[in-house]
Amino acid sequence: MSAGYVWVIIIGMAVSNYALRFVPIAMLSRLKLPRPIERWLSFIPVSVMAALLVGEVLRPDGRWLPLLENPYLFAAIPTAIVYHVWRNFLGTTVVGIVLFLVFRSVLG
Amino acid sequence: MCGMPTPEPQQPPCPSARDRFFRGVRLGLPVFLGYVPVGAAFGILATTQGLTALQTVVNSMTAFAGAGQFIGLSLMNAGASILTVLAATTVVNLRYVLFGATLSTHLERTPLPGQAVLGFLLTDETFAVNIDDSRRGLATGLSMAGVGVISWLGWVSGTALGATASSFIGDPYRFGVAFAMPAMFTALLVAQAENRRDVIVGIVAAVLAILFALILPGKWYVIAAAVIAAAVGAVVYE
Repeated sequence: MSAGYVWVIIIGMAVSNYALRFVPIAMLSRLKLPRPIERWLSFIPVSVMAALLVGEVLRPDGRWLPLLENPYLFAAIPTAIVYHVWRNFLGTTVVGIVLFLVFRSVLG
Repeated sequence: MCGMPTPEPQQPPCPSARDRFFRGVRLGLPVFLGYVPVGAAFGILATTQGLTALQTVVNSMTAFAGAGQFIGLSLMNAGASILTVLAATTVVNLRYVLFGATLSTHLERTPLPGQAVLGFLLTDETFAVNIDDSRRGLATGLSMAGVGVISWLGWVSGTALGATASSFIGDPYRFGVAFAMPAMFTALLVAQAENRRDVIVGIVAAVLAILFALILPGKWYVIAAAVIAAAVGAVVYE
């Protein structure tokens, strides 16, 4: 890999990535969106989080794990309960990691 | 409201800019925790595939895109043309258009320079944390910047660690931090699902995500599932 090739890609990636992130915010925050679009956007966060979670838990690192041997899945369930009761993100994340280590060692 | 004249005694006190920023930093700590090991994995992989430590760290500092960077790396390694690499990473990052559109409805009062900074700091994880905070009415431009900055520091410091000290670290996943992101998304999902509508739309999205993950490459399942599930919600709960 020549240095020039790598640097051109690094700069191009920075520019395209930034444009994708910034332009919609800058443009759409200045428009009054139609009500149906706003309602649709209001359901995007819960949908995105559910979709991301399913991917992270059932297919970590792009590999599907068998349900009964999946420490991610076993850890996610008590983690959800911990957050529901405790309402603390950082604390729940740390408890989740500990639960994951336990299930990973149990499930081998 | 902050900034409005309030009768004596002044309560509750208006949080200072510093307080708002550091509240965001605390909110972003789980993201930091998750980004360091993934950043380290990227740093190790990139330097073993021929990038210099400087190139690797600059890539993380300027792109700040997990999946996009990994895909860029594998295509560079395969000798793909510059255009192919850039097109592929752009496609992978298209989901940010959707996130930006959603976030824009919460940033109407943020001035353009602030939006420019928040756009740079937008990722799957900072989006999730900030949108949850917005919905509770707690987020400000500064708290969102705090979430973004601590997350960026995690990604960049993880990358630097992996790029320079890979032989000391070994497998960065063995500490259980592989579950930091799933744990955070679990908590955020529970936080989002406060009424029946959200629970149902979330279930629809989860089912669709499984189906789409089976047939679509990369992270496309996230976009496809979210776009359709949110549309179902918007139509059913008109």
